[in-house]
Amino acid sequence: MVGTLAVVVALALSACGKSVTSGGATGGTQAEKVYQQLNALPANQQRAAAIDQAKKEGTLELYTSLTDELVKPVKDAFEKQTGVKMNVFRASSETVLQRTLQETSANRTGNDAIETNFGEMATLSKQGVLSDYRGAAFANIPQSGRFQGWLADRLNIMLPAWNTKLIKPGQEPRSWEDLADPRFKGKLTLELTDSDWYENVTKSWLRHGKTQAQVDELWQRIVANANVAKGHTVMAELLGAGQTAVDAMNYSYITQNTADKGAPVAYRSADGIAHTIAFARPQGVAMMKNAKHPAAAWLFNDWLLGDGQKLLVSLGLTPSVKVEGDKSLQGVTLEPYDVQGLTQDSKTWDDRYDRLLRGLKQIGGD
Amino acid sequence: MAMASAPKRSAVAPRPAGRWLAQVARELATPRTLLVGGVLVIVGYLAVVPLVYLLHDTFTGPGGLSIDAFTRAYTANSQAGRMMLNSVEFAVGSGALALAIGTLLAYVQVRTDAPLKGLFFAASLVPLIIPGILYAASWIFLADPRIGLINVVLFKPILGHGLFNTFSMWGMIWVQGLHLAPIAFLLMGAAFRSMDPSLEEAALMAGAPRRVLLRRITMPLVRPAIVSAILLMFVQSLESFEVPGLLGLQNGIYVFTSRIYFVLRQFPIDYGAAGAYALGLLAFAVAGVAASGWLARNARSYQTVTGKAFRPRPIELGRARPLVGALVVLFFGVAVVLPVAVLVYASLLKFYAAPSMDSLRTMSLANYRTVLHMPLATTALRNSVLLGVGAATVVMFLTAVASWVVVRTRAMGRRLLDVVAFTPLVVPGLVLGLALSFVYLRTSLPIYGTLWILLIAYSTRYLPYGMRYASAAMSQTSGELEESAHICGASWWQTFRRVLLPLASSGILAGWVYILVVSFRELSSSILLYSPGKEVLSILIWEQFENGQFTTLAAIGVCMVAILVLLVLVAYRLGARFGVDAEGSR
Repeated sequence: MVGTLAVVVALALSACGKSVTSGGATGGTQAEKVYQQLNALPANQQRAAAIDQAKKEGTLELYTSLTDELVKPVKDAFEKQTGVKMNVFRASSETVLQRTLQETSANRTGNDAIETNFGEMATLSKQGVLSDYRGAAFANIPQSGRFQGWLADRLNIMLPAWNTKLIKPGQEPRSWEDLADPRFKGKLTLELTDSDWYENVTKSWLRHGKTQAQVDELWQRIVANANVAKGHTVMAELLGAGQTAVDAMNYSYITQNTADKGAPVAYRSADGIAHTIAFARPQGVAMMKNAKHPAAAWLFNDWLLGDGQKLLVSLGLTPSVKVEGDKSLQGVTLEPYDVQGLTQDSKTWDDRYDRLLRGLKQIGGD
Repeated sequence: MAMASAPKRSAVAPRPAGRWLAQVARELATPRTLLVGGVLVIVGYLAVVPLVYLLHDTFTGPGGLSIDAFTRAYTANSQAGRMMLNSVEFAVGSGALALAIGTLLAYVQVRTDAPLKGLFFAASLVPLIIPGILYAASWIFLADPRIGLINVVLFKPILGHGLFNTFSMWGMIWVQGLHLAPIAFLLMGAAFRSMDPSLEEAALMAGAPRRVLLRRITMPLVRPAIVSAILLMFVQSLESFEVPGLLGLQNGIYVFTSRIYFVLRQFPIDYGAAGAYALGLLAFAVAGVAASGWLARNARSYQTVTGKAFRPRPIELGRARPLVGALVVLFFGVAVVLPVAVLVYASLLKFYAAPSMDSLRTMSLANYRTVLHMPLATTALRNSVLLGVGAATVVMFLTAVASWVVVRTRAMGRRLLDVVAFTPLVVPGLVLGLALSFVYLRTSLPIYGTLWILLIAYSTRYLPYGMRYASAAMSQTSGELEESAHICGASWWQTFRRVLLPLASSGILAGWVYILVVSFRELSSSILLYSPGKEVLSILIWEQFENGQFTTLAAIGVCMVAILVLLVLVAYRLGARFGVDAEGSR
């Protein structure tokens, strides 16, 4: 009972002093010193030194939102190639963000490295809890994949997807505007949280000369065609089952993985070309500023941005570095993802997309 | 808290003032006071931590105290009125459906000689065991207007189009109602078992027809259980996310929880608005607790377990027996066989497709092999069993004592205790997870990152359920048995352990089983609090769901149903050995 009371008091005290501080904001943490040492070594000695130190540190603690079926091969390959053991906490990107923020604000950073979505990485970067990787693999990363505190390790390609049994060849959407076409009335599914896609399409339309009124009207018509679902993988599953005929947007690797299981879904037309212009959202990897196993964190970044890129290709993902044999971008035309706009203002777009969806009319029955 | 004021204390003669303090100290130091006091502190602590966290986030803004969060949540295009109406419609509808089904099944099972009683067991527990996501998903495959099997097979050939639409308010109520019915069944079953049928017999002798008997005697006698069931199911429907998330969003039917989900995934997360919604839920729930307190007033009139012996005798159904049997089979078919069959069917496929020659050809046991070879499956199963049994035991012990205080004593603040123990129900799981990680990241006790934090989370989340089960059971047990024990020289602890607990045992066992089963499903707080090596089954299931491995997920679901049915059977068998007549008058 005394113990319980002590905890109550501790809670009351800590609740008063609650504030999110960036863990060790300036001055260089212990971990950052290790990062700097490794970065300073000649490129051909870095990996060996990191492996050596990481083994002494013990394990690598990774937080990631990579899906479960991708985590296993990544973990196996990393452990095999480096000999360093890896523990993985896997959850949705929002949960990964929450957990990391909770721990860093209590100065108890639990992970060494992190791999998750663009928006979450940008938020963590703003909190100042990440540290820049500048090892040998950095040189390979294209300019578009370099961010304050983190680097892109892969890209999520946004494209419409359809059920090939329900949509005849030639009838599939060939542009984002097509989604507003009456032929998709009641056949379209939108995802609840795709506000960044909404932002990119909107700005692209405006860039290409549409007026705001035209853009608004297109969205109204798209929403009038659509039902709403939650979760991209669920959407792909329901698309394969024929519950819906078209996913307004799904990530190409999810559609591809569903197709590989034998489901009748596609994101490229019969000619092998994805006629809709795609947006590629960077997914990132970083080292924690207060990692307990800094050499292991550095090693993971070095590995994932180097050798690991080939593994990502074999898993059907799109790497951020050019890798031979990568077919995920075949027939795909890319337009830049609006990094700037969504770093500054994602909440406004969340709200706008939410309001757009809630304008949905009741679509009952068949 | 006011545990010191005991119910049946004889008046104490005035004493010299000097010895008064020592006397009070001695009285306070009795095992009873210490135990009751300890339990109350723990219950209060468990419930208050997340609440304080929630209140703090809701009422503070950048400039100190503020109510901006409410403005953000309830005005400015939030369609709050519509959302609240949807929530209430959904909660009342599914609560009513579940109550009707659960009560009917419980009555037929406990009080009549209906045939096929073995089916009740499965009919009442299987929907509870199947995780909400899976239950909702299986109903998509059954009653989707386009691909739903019921529509395709039964109605399309006749009507030319599907009849059922699972993506409507009625569809949501149907799925949620069936999923909740076990709560009502467990609560009402325990109540019917503890009911002295001599009152009914007296009414029958006096010539009252069955209908009148049911309305005027039976139902009033089990009113505390009915009230508890309504309250639990109403609030649980308000608070659940799977059905509104999977079925409601399709047609834009938003409820409280889908709004909370929305604000919790924004950047930066608007905890204030989430808290404002959660407090909206809390307001509804507190109104519910108050109403239930009012409905259950005159508590003595429900006490049917008294000093007098009674033996519930089953009512003979006579000619109605085959009809009742047929209804039971029908319910069993709809609530259990159909969804489980869809799951079994899906678990044999590579990807879900409506039954056809093509899909039948691709059937295999590959998904079960995947499940067996999941590296985490055994760890997760072990952790889930440990946590389920642990949380069920902790919660039922705590709430047995706490509900004794609420039901049996006249202690000041006992209503408050009732409300406090109820609040965890409306704290969103994710907020609970955040609150607990916030607290235990800042203590040096080895709790964060271990199974203990999950045990604390589960014990907190299921406190309200335990409280409802325990207090429904306590209200039916008369105080005179305790008094006799007391007079015979039994200590309070002996009385509690040897008289009260056994008498209330069927309700407490029902609560234990309920918590065991639902803790296997707990996801929203586990997902933030688990650490590598501390995975639980629900996490595994969620992973499969997030990965879109619906068919593997179905295989896990089928295995889970099998394991939990086994566990529950063992619990009831053990219960029966210790004198708990949980299976009723078979």
